[in-house]
Amino acid sequence: MALLAVRDLTVDLQTTRGVARAVRGVSFELAKGGTLGVVGESGCGKSITALALMGLLPEGARTSGRIDLDGTDLLSLGEDALCGMRGNRIAMIFQEPMTSLNPVHRIGRQIAEPLRQHRGLRGAKARAEAIRLLDRVGLPNAAQRVDAYPHQLSGGQRQRVMIAMALSCDPDILIADEPTTALDVTIQGQILDLINELVDESGMALILISHDLGVIAETTDDVVVMYGGSLVEHGPTDSLFDTLAHPYSQGLFAAIPDIGGRHDRRLTTIPGTVPELADLPPGCPFADRCPLAADDCWSTEPPMRQVLPGHQAACLRLEAAAAGRANGGRGDD
Amino acid sequence: MSTAATDPDLAGDGAPPQGFIRRAMRHRAFVIGFALTGGMVLSALVSLLWTPHSPTEIIIANRLKPPTAVHWLGTDQFGRDILSMIMAGAQTSIVVGLIAVSLGGIFGLALGLWAAARRGWTEDLIMRLSDLTFAFPVILIAILLTAGWGPGITNAILALGVINIPIFARLVRGTGIAMWEREFVQAARSAGKGRVRITFEHILPNITSVVVVQATISFAIAILAEAALSYLGVGSQPPDPSWGRMLSESQNFIFLSPLIAVWPGLAIVLSVLGLNLMGDGLRDLLDPRLARQR
Ligand SMILES: Nc1ncnc2c1ncn2[C@@H]1O[C@H](COP(=O)(O)OP(=O)(O)O)[C@@H](O)[C@H]1O
Ligand SMILES: [Mg+2]
Repeated sequence: MALLAVRDLTVDLQTTRGVARAVRGVSFELAKGGTLGVVGESGCGKSITALALMGLLPEGARTSGRIDLDGTDLLSLGEDALCGMRGNRIAMIFQEPMTSLNPVHRIGRQIAEPLRQHRGLRGAKARAEAIRLLDRVGLPNAAQRVDAYPHQLSGGQRQRVMIAMALSCDPDILIADEPTTALDVTIQGQILDLINELVDESGMALILISHDLGVIAETTDDVVVMYGGSLVEHGPTDSLFDTLAHPYSQGLFAAIPDIGGRHDRRLTTIPGTVPELADLPPGCPFADRCPLAADDCWSTEPPMRQVLPGHQAACLRLEAAAAGRANGGRGDD
Repeated sequence: MSTAATDPDLAGDGAPPQGFIRRAMRHRAFVIGFALTGGMVLSALVSLLWTPHSPTEIIIANRLKPPTAVHWLGTDQFGRDILSMIMAGAQTSIVVGLIAVSLGGIFGLALGLWAAARRGWTEDLIMRLSDLTFAFPVILIAILLTAGWGPGITNAILALGVINIPIFARLVRGTGIAMWEREFVQAARSAGKGRVRITFEHILPNITSVVVVQATISFAIAILAEAALSYLGVGSQPPDPSWGRMLSESQNFIFLSPLIAVWPGLAIVLSVLGLNLMGDGLRDLLDPRLARQR
């Protein structure tokens, strides 16, 4: 049985413009020790999905569906039970290391928070464990830095601290929401390597959220591609990157600048912008930006269709998309 | 490579307290405000042990004297030494301000933190109640409450304290909610912390500066309100010294001896001004964004 099984997860958020459906019937599974990448442009619901897994959705959010962790539906748990899960069985690191630490407390104390909370560790023991964790995540001079305040550390160092905090109770699942987006390019690789190393070492499962396909391709076993709150493609990483069945996945891939590669390749982006959730059109959410969109794409919500075993895409025109790829192009243009 | 001296990543701000005092001394409004407030506190403290003359002893033969070497600020209509009365009156102002602000601050803080942490109906209740009090001027409510409860310094203090509760509650709720949305609170929650511990460990330490600033402003308003209540006869009662009552009693003699109305008025103005300047200064000095830049 899967460690984590998300079934038909839907999240409605309270916004100034009314209720917005930020996540629309998302389903996926994560095996023990497995790694799952979540990709998509910003605003497509990646973070909200992650927060739903943590039970940390914004005030007034409504959910439906199931999130089963080892057979327990997290959506049915109360706040106290969720507190017992967070940081203990599921941990999360966030995009903004500069603001994810409380400016008024020393980092050692903040790392020890989950230890105090879930393991009852206090005083010298908690401190020793904090130093060990800081050392493990590669913070130089851990024994002194444990007493530093967050503003005394660089962004990369703070992200290491966040990772140490997330790891402290040996969670079953680590959710990393764009953990390197806010960092210098030179640091990004180091942090990703660190996460990979720790995941391998501890056998925890990883959900890595990114809009960077390269990062996902290198790191994860499976990938889901999100658009407008829905999954548009879902499959094993190799198969998905070989096939790129959905026109949106093709567009995302074409949007990657080809650093140091063939210089005749232009930097392309997908025309148009991510739709406002409050007024998503009926039919396929990607229809108005899709080069292959036909009449029925505007009216019919595309079902998930199998591309290869274990690999599905939600598109009415998979055949046309495959043909477009075979022609070595980016769709019909 | 990784020692504090050579690592550019460890370019810290230095210990916060030293930086604070240094910046405070360069902040002109804060320095002036601090000096005025300090003067008020000092004269209240000194008056506990010593005043030039008795602030209550009536010597009719000495009445309405202009300032002299013996009575620096002159005497009032009963021959009491005005400087001594002003010094002793500072006690009343400070006691009223301290108790009223503590009362409003403690209860308002608790309610505001609660509302920010729980949201929902508690929040609505607190906000509707405070809307009610915000619809009327502070002094009017204080007059209404003391009129209902009966005149006297204790009721004046209670009334001012009660009025301060929604002021603090609303402020703390607003800044608290903003704080709950900060990333580090999300991070703390994702570490499994409950609402109570987050409130005390993450929300409270990060809102102290706005509470301190509000406290100085509320203190100033309380002094002003106490003076107004005493002026109207529903605040402190004779023979307790009070700037407000000095002002009201001097009215009848203002043409005989105009200065006797000036002194208590000046004391009120300077202490209120001092507290407001200090509050503004603290707002600048405690703002972490300004502190970081330099
Ligand atoms: N606190 C919030 N309140 C209302 N809407 C939100 C909130 N957070 C995010 N959203 C909306 O939900 C959608 C998905 O956001 P998010 O999951 O953060 O996207 P991303 O894929 O970039 O992580 C966006 O349209 C965003 O505007
Ligand atoms: Mg996001």
